[in-house]
This record gives sequence, structure tokens and C-alpha cells, in this order.
Amino acid sequence: MGIQEVQGQSGTPAYQKKRKTGRAEGFQESLLQNLKNRDQEKQTATASETESKQNAADIQTGAKPKAEKMSMGRIGAAQGIRVNAAATQETLQAVEVRHMSYEESDHVRIAVTEGYTLKGKREEGAEPRVYVEAKYEDGRIEAYQVEMAKVQGQTEHVIERFALETMEEA
Amino acid sequence: MEQEWSYLVEEYRAMLYRVAFSNIKNRADAEDAVQEAFLRYMKDEKPIQNKEHEKAWLIRTTIHICLDILKSGWYQRTVPWNESFENTAKNIYLPYQVKDDETLEAVLRLPVHYRNPIYLFYYEDYSIHEIAGILNEKEGTIKTRLRRGREEVKKILTEGRP
Repeated sequence: MGIQEVQGQSGTPAYQKKRKTGRAEGFQESLLQNLKNRDQEKQTATASETESKQNAADIQTGAKPKAEKMSMGRIGAAQGIRVNAAATQETLQAVEVRHMSYEESDHVRIAVTEGYTLKGKREEGAEPRVYVEAKYEDGRIEAYQVEMAKVQGQTEHVIERFALETMEEA
Repeated sequence: MEQEWSYLVEEYRAMLYRVAFSNIKNRADAEDAVQEAFLRYMKDEKPIQNKEHEKAWLIRTTIHICLDILKSGWYQRTVPWNESFENTAKNIYLPYQVKDDETLEAVLRLPVHYRNPIYLFYYEDYSIHEIAGILNEKEGTIKTRLRRGREEVKKILTEGRP
């Protein structure tokens, strides 16, 4: 009896129909998504190609590539001295380390808790300049020449601030 | 020969005194330690290779003499009556002006294995390579001690204890 009842129902059971429709919808959705993704990939490829072409052109003309322009400078990477190098590149210039002693310096700052020392000496010349030597806890030594005419009195940059103090001490 | 010795004494006396004082925290004992270091240098028959080696030898010997004095039974039973730990930074006579005496006081309160690398690196301006040579340690060890010592200095300054 039970068997007859089942055989009497023609076609596919309702749950199977539902499942099939669901699959079809899912396939359509994924197809659309794949097409969208492909379009996006194409657009990204074109954009990166344009950027690399632009960077190559910049290097040829002597201009810095975009990625480098946006990066933090060496000063920014230093422990305890975190400032965007792009903002101070006009006043600070990296120079060769002279290994100046504390006795030779006009001004000394020993920042044990921050892990660095600074030594400053006023340079002789027509334009006011200060030579600053920074030594870090990891052993690195960096030297900068600070153009005092370009330094703002209210600066919060550690090296510029120190250069101003050196000018006062000298 | 006499001229050579007098030159040597003039060149290193002040710096050796500061190193000795940072370890022993007593003026008279620091001066004794420096004298003893010069005497040992004169008696020593080992050939000194160069100026850097000479300086490293003198600093190392001074530190060893200070540690021997600190370990001696007499020193452990007595307390200097005219000097206290509060004015140690004033008696070190650095050849430049240090505005932050508190930090120097904190450095002088560090345990010896942190104090010497930190003092030589920051206050005597020696490089990690030179300090490693002076203290007979690897450069990596000195870097680690500088980093950990700095943390200890922070603790002393904020919590008042090493």
C-alpha cells in the first residue's frame, strides 16, 4: 500500500526540486562573481602597469618613485626619535660621521631611558649650521647637518630642537 | 720612560677615576683603585699592542680592582662616613655638563653587569665593540645588557627600586 502511494506521485519529489533550483541559483551567482573578479583583476593589472611605467620614468628623470616618496626616513626609524623624514628633509642633511668626542661638543644630551645620545657643535661659516651626531643603543651612529635658518623656533623635531639648544649653548 | 708614564697618567687618570667612582662610589677608594691600576700596568710585562688595547687594559684592571675592594671583608664591614649615595653624581666630575643627575644616580644604582656597559656607552661614549673588548664579553651580550639595563633604569626612576 505504501509502495503504491509513492508510485502514484508523479515526477521528482519536492525536496529534490528545491535542491536543484538552489544549485542553479548558486551557479549563477558564482558565475557573476567570477566575471566581476575578472574585471577587477584586469583593472588592477592596468593600474599597476601604469604605476610601474611611471616609476621607471621617474627614475630616468631623477625623481623618486612614489613608494619611496611616501616612506619614512632613517630618522623616523630610530628608537625614541619618531618623525616623518619628509617634513624635515629641508632642514636636515645626513652627513659623514666625524666621531666627535663629548669634550669637543658644544652641547650633549644623554638619554639613557630613550636609548640614544646626541652631540652637537655649531659650525663656523656664513650661514648658521649645527653638526649633530646621534648614537643609538643598537650601536648605529648617524650624523646630520642642520640648516638653522630653516628651523622653526617652535619645532618639535628632536634633532632640530637639540640643534637650537646647541646654538644657545655655543 | 718617566715622560711616558706621566703622559699615560695625564691621558687616562680622569677617565679611570670616573670609571672607578661609578663602581665604588667613594672618592678616596676610587683614587686608590686608579693608582693601583697604574702600578699594575707598570709591573705588567705583557706587550701592549696599541693605544686602544692600552686603554681597554687600564679600564678592565680598574674595574677588577674596584670589584676586589667591594668584595673585601674590610669594605663590607665599614661604611664611608663623609659620602652618601645621594650625592654620587656630583662627585663623578664628568668633563661635560649633564642636566639630568637623577638618571646618572639611577645608573650608578644598577647591578654591576648592567652598570658598567651603560656607564661606558652613555657617559664615556664608548662603542659597543670597545665595551665588548674592555669587559671581555661578546658584542651581542653588551647589546642585551644595554637594553635590559635601560629598562632597569626606567624602573628605578619610576618605582625607585632596581
